[in-house]
Amino acid sequence: MKFAKVLKLTAFAAALATASAAFADNEVIIYTNADEEAQVAMKHALDANGFEGKYLMQSWGTSELGGRLMAEGRNIEADVLTLSSYYLDSVQQKDKVFKDLTFDHTTIKGDTVPYYAPILGVTGSMFVNTEVLKEFNLPAPKALKDLADPQYEGYISVPDITGSSTSWLMTQALVQAYGEEEGIKLVQAIERNAGDHLELSGSAPLKKIRAGEVAVGFGLRHQAVADKKRGLPIDYIDPAEGNYTITEAVAVVDKGENTNPDAMAVAECIIKHARTELLTNYPVALYPGESVDEDLRPANPQTFKEKLTVELLKRHQDLVKGE
Amino acid sequence: MYTATSSLNILGKEQFELKLSFVLISLLLLVILGWPLYSILGQSFFTDEGSFTLMNYAEAFSKKSFYTALGHSLTVSGCVAFFATIIAFFAAYGLNFCAFRPRTRSLIQIVLLLPLFLPSITYGFAVIYSFGRQGLVTQIFGRLPFSIYGFNGLLIAGVIYTLPPAFMIMNNAFAYVDRNFITVSKVMGDSPLRTFYQTALRPVLGSAAAAFILSFFLIFTDFGIPTSIAGRYEVIATQLYAVMMGAIPDFHNGSVIAMVMLLPSILSVIILRQCERLNFRYNKLSKTPPAPQILRDYSFAAFYLLLTLLLLSVFAIIFIVPFVQSWPYQPVFTLDTIKRVFAENDITGTYLNSLYVAVLTAVLGTALCYLAGMVNARSHLAPWCRTLMDVFAMVTNTVPGMVLGVGFLFAFTGSPITNTFAILVLANIVHFFTTPYLMAQQAFSRMNAGFETTGALMGDTWSETLRRVVIPNTFSTILQMLSYFFVNAMVTISAIVFLAGARTQVMTSKIKELQYFEKFDAIFTLSLLIFLTNCAVKLLLDFWAESRARRLKAQQD
Repeated sequence: MKFAKVLKLTAFAAALATASAAFADNEVIIYTNADEEAQVAMKHALDANGFEGKYLMQSWGTSELGGRLMAEGRNIEADVLTLSSYYLDSVQQKDKVFKDLTFDHTTIKGDTVPYYAPILGVTGSMFVNTEVLKEFNLPAPKALKDLADPQYEGYISVPDITGSSTSWLMTQALVQAYGEEEGIKLVQAIERNAGDHLELSGSAPLKKIRAGEVAVGFGLRHQAVADKKRGLPIDYIDPAEGNYTITEAVAVVDKGENTNPDAMAVAECIIKHARTELLTNYPVALYPGESVDEDLRPANPQTFKEKLTVELLKRHQDLVKGE
Repeated sequence: MYTATSSLNILGKEQFELKLSFVLISLLLLVILGWPLYSILGQSFFTDEGSFTLMNYAEAFSKKSFYTALGHSLTVSGCVAFFATIIAFFAAYGLNFCAFRPRTRSLIQIVLLLPLFLPSITYGFAVIYSFGRQGLVTQIFGRLPFSIYGFNGLLIAGVIYTLPPAFMIMNNAFAYVDRNFITVSKVMGDSPLRTFYQTALRPVLGSAAAAFILSFFLIFTDFGIPTSIAGRYEVIATQLYAVMMGAIPDFHNGSVIAMVMLLPSILSVIILRQCERLNFRYNKLSKTPPAPQILRDYSFAAFYLLLTLLLLSVFAIIFIVPFVQSWPYQPVFTLDTIKRVFAENDITGTYLNSLYVAVLTAVLGTALCYLAGMVNARSHLAPWCRTLMDVFAMVTNTVPGMVLGVGFLFAFTGSPITNTFAILVLANIVHFFTTPYLMAQQAFSRMNAGFETTGALMGDTWSETLRRVVIPNTFSTILQMLSYFFVNAMVTISAIVFLAGARTQVMTSKIKELQYFEKFDAIFTLSLLIFLTNCAVKLLLDFWAESRARRLKAQQD
C-alpha cells in the first residue's frame, strides 16, 4: 500500500521527466546579452518569419555571457550568440569558435567581419533629472570629467566596468581624452561619487534617475532621448569628451557535425528582419540604406584609437579597481 | 547484532542488497563529490600545463580586492550570526518560559520558520522594496537614516535568512531545560540576573554557540543575498562568481577562492561538534507548564508582535507587488501584472523545470540517503564501510554550494550531463545530503535490531522485509526527508547558478536573470510561486504523515 504510493510518486516524477523532455530537441538556442527591447525585436523578427517555437532565447549579463564563452568555447550550449563584438573577436582569435556567415552582411562602412554581423550599436551619453538637479541646486555637467567633482557625491549613478560594457564607453572617452593614467583616476573618482549607485547593468542608471534617486548619470543615449520625448524631466548631455559606440553582433557557433542546421538561418533572419525595430531603439545606422533622426545622432561621435579587445577591457578593469 | 550476523550467515545470502547499495553509493559519491573537490584542488595547485605550482595562491593573495571581500564576508557573517543568535535565543526562551496558549505558541513558531520557504535571493529584493526609498515600510514610517545597500541590507536580510535555523536549534535546546530550577534558584535567593544565567542561559550556551556558528556558515557561503543587495560591498561569494563567470574568467583564481571558502566551513563543522559538549542535559524533565507572570508574558508578547510585524513587513511586499498595477506609483489591485509577467517571461516553463528538479531531487535524494543510512545503521558490513557513510555526510556538510557548483563546473564541463537536469539534481543531492542522511540514520538506530532477522527467518526476501517492515516503520522519517530535499531544491541558487543552461533554467536562476532588467514584479511573482509551492508540499506531506499516524493508532486500538 505505502510502497504503491512511493511507486506512484516515482511514476509522477517519471511523467514529469517525459513532459519536460518533450521540448523540441533541435530548437536553436540563442544566448544573448542584449537589453530587453532588443530581445523583443529579435523575437518579433523570428516569430514573424517561421521560427516561432523553434528557438530558445536565454539572456545573460554581458560579462557573464562573455566569461561563459571564453571558458566554454565551442562547448557552449548556445547555437547562436549575440554579444558585444569585442568578445566575439577575442574568442575567435584565440580559438576558431564561430562559423563564417553565409549571408551578405556588408555594413554601411563597407567592411565585413566574416564570422559576425552587427545587430545594434549603443552610444553612451550623460543624462540628468532636471527636477532633482534643481532640488539640490546642482549645475548640469558639461563633460564626463565634471562627474568626478565631489559636489556630485551621492547624486550620480554610473554602470560598473566589471559588469557592464556601457561603462566601458565612459572609460574609453576619459582615457582617450586625458591619457590612461589621468583617465583612470577620473573613473575612480566618478565611481566613488556614485557609491551605492554603481550599477551592474547599463540601463540601471537611467532607471535610478527616473525614480529620482539620483540627479546625474551615464548610460545609453537613446534611452534618455526617448524619456525626454515622453515628457519626463530627463535631459541628455553629449559629453565634451565625445560619444563612443559599441556594437553587438550575432555569430553562429561552429559545432562541427553537431552544428544546428537552423542556426545560420536564425542569424540571417535577425539581421534581415529585426533591424527596422532595433533601429528605433538603438539609433545607430549599421547597414546601407539605414538612417536615423537628427536628434538621435550624437553631437560628437568618436571611435577609440586602440582596437577594442577583451584584454584591453581587462586592463581597464584592473586599473580602475586598482589591482 | 552478532547473533543476527550468524543467523544470516546460515541463510547464506548475506545482505547482498546492502553490499550492492554500499558499492553503488560509494561509487556515486566518489564521482559527484570526490571528483569535483579533487578538480578544484587540482585547478588551484596546477598550471594549465599540468605542473605543480603555488603561483595561483600567490597571485590570488596579492590582490587587494580579495582581502576586502574576505573582510566583508567575515564582518557580515559575524554580525548576522550575533544578532540572529540573540533574537533566536529570546524567541526560544519566551516560547518555553512564558505562559502562552499552545495555539499562540505554534503560531509564533510558524511565523518564525516562514523564511525557510523562500530563496535567499528574494530577501535581498524584499528588503530593498520594504526599506528602500520607494519601500513599503519607508512609505509608512519614513526613510531609514542609512542606506540599505551594502552592509546594512546584508545584515537585515541575513538575520531574516538565518533566524529560522538558529531558532530551531535554540528551541530544541530549551526543550531539555527544566523550568523547576527557576524556583530552586529563587528559593536560594539568587538575583534575577543570576537566576536567568543559571537556569536559562547556561544550559543552552552550547546551542547558542552552535546557532552562531551555523548562522555564520550560512551567511559566509550564501550567494543569493549579496547578489541582490550587496551593491558595491563585495563579499567572497560574489567575488567567486565574478571570477568564475565574469568578464574574463580565471579558473585558477576561482579555485583558490573556493579553497579559501572551504576553510571556515571545515572549521565551523569541527566547532559545531564541540558545541554539543557544552550543553546540559537534564535527566528528568518536569513537564509543569510555566506559571503566568504578567509583566514577563506581556513583554514577550510585545517582542513577538514586533518580530512578526518586522518579518511580515518584509514578506508583505512579495504578496503585494504582483497584484498591483505598478509599485509604488499605482498601488491599485489588478491581475494584469501577474498575467503580463506570465506572458512575457516563460514562467510556466521555468516553474515546471523547478518542480521537476525538486521532485527528482526529493525522490532520488531520499532513496540515496535512506540506503546510506541503512548501510550505516543496519548492515553488517565492515566498520570502515559504515563509517565511510558518515564521512560522506561530514564532507558534504562542509562543502558550500558555491564551491560545489565550481567543482561540478570543472569536473563535468563538456561531459554529456552539462546543461541537463541530471547535473542540477546531482548537485542538489550532494549539496543537501547530510541532514536527510542523519534523519534516516537516527530512525534506523531507533528501530528494533531484530526486524530483518525475523523477516529473514520468516522466509521474506530483503525487498519484502524492506517493504513490509522497514519502510512502514520509518515512514514519517521518509516524508520528512522528502520535504527537506524538495524545499531546499526549490530555494537554492548557490550551486545551480554555475550549472543551469537555457533548457534547464529554474526559478532561482531565472530570478537572477530578471535582476539584470530590474523586473521586480516578475521576481516577486516567481518568489511567491516558490513560497506557495513549498507551503503546499510541506502541508501535504505533514497531512499524509498525520493521517497515517492516526490510522495506525486507530488500528492498534
